[in-house]
Amino acid sequence: MATLTASVPLSGGLLKRRSVQKLLLLALAAAVLIPLANAQWASGSWPDALTVDLSKPLTGASDWIIDNRDSHPLFLYGFGYVSNAVVVSVRAVYLVLLAAGWAGVTAIGALVAWRVAGVRLALGTGAAFLACGLLGMWVPTMQTLALMVVAVLASVLVGVLLGLAAGLSDRMDRALRPVLDTMQVLPAYAYLLPVVLVFGMGVPAAVLATVVYAAPPMARLTALGLRGADKEVLEAVDSLGATARQRLLTARVPLARKELLLGLNQTIMMALSMAVIASVIGAAGLGDRVYQALASVDVGAALAAGIPIVLLAVVLDRVTGAAGENVGEEHGNTRRLWLYAALAAVAVAVAGRLAGRLDWPDAWTMNIAEPVNRAVDWMTAHLYSGVPYIGGTADWAGHFTTWVLNPVRSGLQWLPWWSLLLLVAALAWLIGTWRTALTAVLAMAAIGVLGVWTPALDTLSQVLAAVAVTLVLGFATGIAAARSDRFERLLRPVLDVFQTMPQFVYLIPVVALFGVGRAPAVAAAVVYALPAVVRITTQGLRQVDPAALESARSLGATPAQQLRQVQLPLARPALLLAVNQGVVLVLAVVIIGGLVGGGALGYDAVFGLAQGDLATGLVAGVGIVCLGLMLDRVTQPTERRTKSGM
Amino acid sequence: MSMSTAVFSVEGLWKVFGPKADTVPGDPELTALDPAELRARTGCTAAVRDVSFDVRKGEVFVVMGLSGSGKSTLVRCLTRLIEPTAGAIAIDGEDVRAMDRSRLRELRRHRAAMVFQHFGLLPHRTVLDNVAYGLEIQGVGKAERRARAREVVAKVGLEGMEQRRPAQLSGGQRQRVGLARALAVDPEVLLFDEPFSALDPLIRRDMQEEVVRLHREEGRTMVFITHDLGEALKLGDRIALMRDGRVVQLGTPEEIVGSPADDYVREFVRDVPREQVMTVRSAMRPGECKSPEHPNAIAADEVVAEAIKVVARSGSAACVVEDGHCLGVVDHERLIGVVAGTEPGAVAGTEPRKEAA
Repeated sequence: MATLTASVPLSGGLLKRRSVQKLLLLALAAAVLIPLANAQWASGSWPDALTVDLSKPLTGASDWIIDNRDSHPLFLYGFGYVSNAVVVSVRAVYLVLLAAGWAGVTAIGALVAWRVAGVRLALGTGAAFLACGLLGMWVPTMQTLALMVVAVLASVLVGVLLGLAAGLSDRMDRALRPVLDTMQVLPAYAYLLPVVLVFGMGVPAAVLATVVYAAPPMARLTALGLRGADKEVLEAVDSLGATARQRLLTARVPLARKELLLGLNQTIMMALSMAVIASVIGAAGLGDRVYQALASVDVGAALAAGIPIVLLAVVLDRVTGAAGENVGEEHGNTRRLWLYAALAAVAVAVAGRLAGRLDWPDAWTMNIAEPVNRAVDWMTAHLYSGVPYIGGTADWAGHFTTWVLNPVRSGLQWLPWWSLLLLVAALAWLIGTWRTALTAVLAMAAIGVLGVWTPALDTLSQVLAAVAVTLVLGFATGIAAARSDRFERLLRPVLDVFQTMPQFVYLIPVVALFGVGRAPAVAAAVVYALPAVVRITTQGLRQVDPAALESARSLGATPAQQLRQVQLPLARPALLLAVNQGVVLVLAVVIIGGLVGGGALGYDAVFGLAQGDLATGLVAGVGIVCLGLMLDRVTQPTERRTKSGM
Repeated sequence: MSMSTAVFSVEGLWKVFGPKADTVPGDPELTALDPAELRARTGCTAAVRDVSFDVRKGEVFVVMGLSGSGKSTLVRCLTRLIEPTAGAIAIDGEDVRAMDRSRLRELRRHRAAMVFQHFGLLPHRTVLDNVAYGLEIQGVGKAERRARAREVVAKVGLEGMEQRRPAQLSGGQRQRVGLARALAVDPEVLLFDEPFSALDPLIRRDMQEEVVRLHREEGRTMVFITHDLGEALKLGDRIALMRDGRVVQLGTPEEIVGSPADDYVREFVRDVPREQVMTVRSAMRPGECKSPEHPNAIAADEVVAEAIKVVARSGSAACVVEDGHCLGVVDHERLIGVVAGTEPGAVAGTEPRKEAA
């Protein structure tokens, strides 16, 4: 409500009074609590007296799990079965893919794309698969694909079941929604550690982390689709005497088809993103190649594995997206065409088999790593620094670190701990309810209690810097795109591609350009978050009531006045959403930036995984979760909460 | 009360929304309150308040009222799409409120089918499969239900559109599909919930004529909900006029227009072209014309507009005839009185509204 009334000038006074009330109340509480806290514990960094050292119990737990993983019945009969089932199914899919041969897989992919999305995407799909082979990445591509197939099937199953429960039962919906909402804002990294703790490094952990990450959108959209069904259609179905089962199968599920397919699309994209990231916990495949290459700053090798990831992402997104758009337009002899497609694919696979060409022929691979590395070397030599007038990329990175990241970090770390809590409380309360503020403050305090205050503030400084850059660039581009149709048309395909790429891939070009460190991590985060911010801003501005804009124009407002006085105020909810999304996306990549020298929480998590020091990793993981929760609550307007409470 | 058998018989029906809704109908103190007071006192909204009526076999029974008068809730209570709070509903003498799930499904599948304001079609099915949907739910085999659906599709004038989807149809065509879907299950009663109010005026008139034609051909009992007085007068054999959940008057169109029960109804029917609704019977001066050849003979059930034509053409009074007997005479004075609405309430006995005990 607050955000709605805020855009109406008449009720501005009311809002002002309310926000002033909130701030006064907060100041009162602070005036009582802060001297107490100050007297008890020193100000400055988070007091040691208030931290709880979890490393010992966590190490104990992790040691116990490692010791008992092969003997304790819980693992033998519980997780062991899950783990075995995952390994067996991934292996089976992988073998099937290999048995189909490269020609067979390419044919199947292209024919499915043809039936679902048309000839153009079929050609694109075929070309993408061939490119994967050409880059010498056929086997890793199949490994990633096998992992994804299993993970997506499991995610869809779990997601649909949860979605059905939430869609059909109000109580389940109320219970699940906050959980799913929160899972949505957590960085992918946070899911890795608990899974590793239980399952150890390896394929099962990778698949399960992927399922946990990719199932929520399916569940959300299934529930949304079931709940969004046209009430009158359902009433009509009832009026004809349908049983509950008939009603679900013939009306509710088909009516939700669009949402279900959108959910499938999102699940596939998130599964790909996670399957790549899961390479750090032992998933073989493309992500592993990127990870290994980045570890030795071998940009060429990273790119050779990164390109197939991007191609896979674009193809999967377009094909599943087209499936969603074409819902309800299929005609007549669909079944026969599917049959033809299946026969053709089998024929190609058999032909490949008979020709003895199952594996991608070595002679057909193209080694791009060397030329790319040469180019990178050239860039390092000529562009890194000392370019006249503009300076080099490494210079920029250095300056950004010195002039922006370092001051922000030291500023945050210099602030007394209680003042940060107060700041978080004030921001969260102004934008939301006391409940939001409480969650945010508790999350922030938990960071201190866990003893990761300093690295968390380091991460926070990177997030703040990246968000600031993202918002400036994003709003400017968004406004420009909203004002010029031509610019938007040019921008749209770029945004489409950028939004489908997994987070991991963004690290490759920034390492090539800026080397390693905190500035490249921030740059990757900006590039990753920018498309979403631009898109939301453009849409928000374009959806402003045309009548309001027209009346402003008829009164003789200049374009600048229209923008400032009509468009921006009316698009306020969209702009706030853009900020929220920007923060969430930036955090996700800043964390992953720990892999390329971003340090802080992300590094702790990776270090914990790499060294088998799960205690450190888990504490860092929980810290990441808390930071994500806090940032989301501080930037999320209450409007969304109240709506989701219905 | 009824001369012929009642299909639906509704007695003292209540539907109250809100907390502890079931206590309201039984509490004489609460039932006496008007809607605003009731909401203030209990937080409840009484959508249907103590409504009683019979729907006779073969008639078009119109429930008419403005939005919020409770008419849509009322029609949904008939097949318990909305569960009534109190009162009795019977279909062919069988208690609807006592039915268990399967009996109720039986009622919805075979005995009463409904046509909805916004059609309620399944967007992913073709016209044919939408029409066959009711039969599919009953478990009728594919070939048979498609054959029956094809017949009904032809009956509502949609031949050649069987394979289209609802999104490819105009509003009028969609409602024809909705009508066909209801007809396909061959129900005893058709329930219409404001079926034409989302349509353009010309299409609406077409559809009204379609309903009149169907009723003439099949004689199926219909319950028709509308907020359009013109539609009610055109289609209804009898009309129940609702306000704030109560039936304020129940009668033939002529009774409603000719002798409004209260000021609300009078205000409502003020602009109705009375000569199109009132019959000659109610306009005549009773008495023999005393002439064996009945000059300017006109049937007693003709509307006044017809009599005006006859009188204007001949320049003299017309003789009102029924079964070869003369019932009375209408002259220009009586006819002008009808048009002006000044003639004395000549209608014999408006059906009194039943008060619940």
